[in-house]
Amino acid sequence: MEVNPPLVRARDYHDLSEQISSIVEGDVIKTPRKYWITLGITSSITILLAAMLTYLVSTGIGVWGNNRPIGWAWDITNFVFWIGIGHAGTLISAILFLFRQKWRTSINRSAEAMTLFAVMCAGIFPLFHTGRPWRAYWLFPVPNTDLSMWQNFRSPLIWDVFAVSTYFTVSLLFWYTGLVPDLATLRDRAVSKLRQVVFGILSLGWRGSARHWTNYEAAYLILAGISTPLVLSVHTIVSFDFATSVIPGWHTTIFPPYFVAGAIFSGFACVMTLLLIARWTLNLQNLITMKHLENMNKIILVTGSVVGYAYACEFFIAWYSGNIYERFTFWNRAFGPYWWAAWSMYSCNVFIPQLYWIKAMRRSLPVMFIISITTNIGMWFERFVIIVTSLHRDFLPSSWGYFRPTWVDMCTFAGTIGLFLTLFLLFARFLPMIAISEVKGVLAYEKQLFKGQAVEVAAE
Amino acid sequence: MNLDPKAIREKLGIGDDKVYGVIGEFDDPHELVQAGRRIREMGYTKLDAMTPFPVHGIDEALGIPRSILGWIVICVGLCGTATAFLLIWYCGAINDKFVIGGKPLFDFTFSIPIAFELTILFSAFASFLGMWALNGLPRLYHPAMNYRDAHRASDDKFLLVIEADDPKFEAQRAAEHLRSVGAETVEVVEG
Amino acid sequence: MAAIFPKSSDLILKVLGAVVGLGAVAGVGAYTYYTYPTVIDTGYQPVQPVPYSHKLHAGQLGLDCFYCHSTVYKAAYAAIPPTQTCMNCHTKVKTDSPRLEPVRQSFKTGQPIPWVLIHRLPDFVYFNHEAHVTAGVSCVSCHGRIDQMIEVHQDKPLNMAFCLACHKDPAPNIRPAELVTKLDWIPDRDPREIGSEIIARKHLNPPTNCSGCHR
Repeated sequence: MEVNPPLVRARDYHDLSEQISSIVEGDVIKTPRKYWITLGITSSITILLAAMLTYLVSTGIGVWGNNRPIGWAWDITNFVFWIGIGHAGTLISAILFLFRQKWRTSINRSAEAMTLFAVMCAGIFPLFHTGRPWRAYWLFPVPNTDLSMWQNFRSPLIWDVFAVSTYFTVSLLFWYTGLVPDLATLRDRAVSKLRQVVFGILSLGWRGSARHWTNYEAAYLILAGISTPLVLSVHTIVSFDFATSVIPGWHTTIFPPYFVAGAIFSGFACVMTLLLIARWTLNLQNLITMKHLENMNKIILVTGSVVGYAYACEFFIAWYSGNIYERFTFWNRAFGPYWWAAWSMYSCNVFIPQLYWIKAMRRSLPVMFIISITTNIGMWFERFVIIVTSLHRDFLPSSWGYFRPTWVDMCTFAGTIGLFLTLFLLFARFLPMIAISEVKGVLAYEKQLFKGQAVEVAAE
Repeated sequence: MNLDPKAIREKLGIGDDKVYGVIGEFDDPHELVQAGRRIREMGYTKLDAMTPFPVHGIDEALGIPRSILGWIVICVGLCGTATAFLLIWYCGAINDKFVIGGKPLFDFTFSIPIAFELTILFSAFASFLGMWALNGLPRLYHPAMNYRDAHRASDDKFLLVIEADDPKFEAQRAAEHLRSVGAETVEVVEG
Repeated sequence: MAAIFPKSSDLILKVLGAVVGLGAVAGVGAYTYYTYPTVIDTGYQPVQPVPYSHKLHAGQLGLDCFYCHSTVYKAAYAAIPPTQTCMNCHTKVKTDSPRLEPVRQSFKTGQPIPWVLIHRLPDFVYFNHEAHVTAGVSCVSCHGRIDQMIEVHQDKPLNMAFCLACHKDPAPNIRPAELVTKLDWIPDRDPREIGSEIIARKHLNPPTNCSGCHR
């Protein structure tokens, strides 16, 4: 029987703690200069985001390019894009956990963190598109004395509010639950009083008691169990925002599975980009092995093909339905004024990932880095194509238009990328990027499988 | 702040005879499970382990019952479902009868997405908060943390605890028992 | 290694938790109270350029509201009276009162008196006095007992909930149109009954959809 090579390479449990914790334990001042430079760049972009949002609020959402008939444009494109990216985190942490995929343990923590940061970036867009973000609590059924009205629960937009806020909350609880034993490890390893107290409080007094682990594992399993349908529901409900309307190009029943597959696709690509960077800069080759990367590339191939199937299906239905508006929309999508956006999307999402059928491509670091980025470009274009091309040719030819983003649109989107990367960099520096206790579990399992081999591997 | 356990005990007026239990140290999770099973066979009932990751088989070895968390979660989760339906029904069909788009004031179908989300949300809070409540956490101080190597229980050591409130507990004998099942280091921990 | 936190820390943690919890409850309570429309939206009472007493004029002297605010029956906007309206009487009455000096100045120069607007709706709300007054909604329903105020203040919250409450159930606030300016009118039977009859007769159907007011 062929035995797969070990997933993690560490001499023993202590070596593992050492490998992961040492990243976050060094003196803050002694962090490599390249880290501070990167953080400086990303946080300046975040400041740009703050400036753009201030400008938007003080002037009005007219500073964005949205105008009739394209009332939803980059804002909702970016919203769906970021929400989609978030999906990989929950998928890795929840669905792969339920399937007992041990390789997930090296990547789930950073993927979950990525989910949280992506959902934060996503939330910015609808929040500011309302024009009055300080009234955001009107989105929730808080008994309000101002309006004597309630939300319209018949609208998918309010479902979306519930879906996205539930998603963020559950992801946060899941992430923190997973983090607690590792925070306890950091507390116990801490030398300075400050770190002991800070991690002592954050770890809530975790001491690894077997009685606690029993409840902990139950909680973790339940959280994984409920996150699995949750992650599928979130993008389903996001797709309802479009699918329940009557706009050709939006009004399709294929949207929920198509959106979910696309979300996982883009999310995995984004995890890939971040992990490749982290693996390279922080020397995590022992913990994030080629096996992890290859598995992720397989998922990218599968979900990319599912997305390709959905595109084909949309075209087929447009022809088969005999609906002239539907036919026009899809013809216009591929060959109309936005042909360049549509073909970028087809190339990046469907054609390029097909390279992953070749094993050498799946295992080549430069190839996977490039594909992870083209995939995200493609998935951004997918949302842009769905939203803007469907709207720019609506039922009334007299109101047809062409959307051009303003510089505020562009800087706001760039700003969210800055915010995302800033948060991720801070996370990678100050919290354990890899689930120490979970990887130790895998190591214990592999010690059984590879008795004697572990020492050899470590000696390499 | 003086953090010496002796000084703290003096300050709080707790006598030196106050013992939390006896802790034995192991290097390997399998040894821990084996040892735990044998200690339990000796008749001890108040046992615990402290491990850096969940060790499979330790619950059964130490006689730790299955977690009841699932039952809590399902009850709270169903409350979430009910909350959603009641909320949508009350807001739409009772408090503010406002017809939008010719749709009914209340219907089961359009309540499903929110009912689903609130079920998940309530369940998540129940499992998160319920887990901490069942564990008696957050709790910053615990006598087991007085053990010399307690900080390694989150690193690479596997600790087996015989607690002092075990009816069979007698510090010296418990320590010998732990040593007899293979613990490298054994210590009586005060607390 | 000794434990990081002393034994007493858990008591501190509990006390802290209780304090934070109670603080949060108190905070939410305070916020709810201080932003309650009847608290935050009412009571605005700016100092007017002339110490004009509505209590004296509308209450004791019995001037009809319509005498000064003459456009309410036929326009969306309730006019602030021109100085000429004041001078209809004040060329004869209290001609040398120092308190009326700004009025005489205004009359002489033609510069209007800068009265301060009190009842103000947001720009995105369309409100028509004519529609309300001719339907039989009394001044008192939205402005309170102006005839008892020396200096006028905002008496009702005039927020959307306030408008909608009446649009959903107008009967208690509808009276015969000729009585709308009788702020002290006491109906001889259940006002809801009177209102319902008028609503049926005039086919009143106040809108509750968004575009009724947000046009």
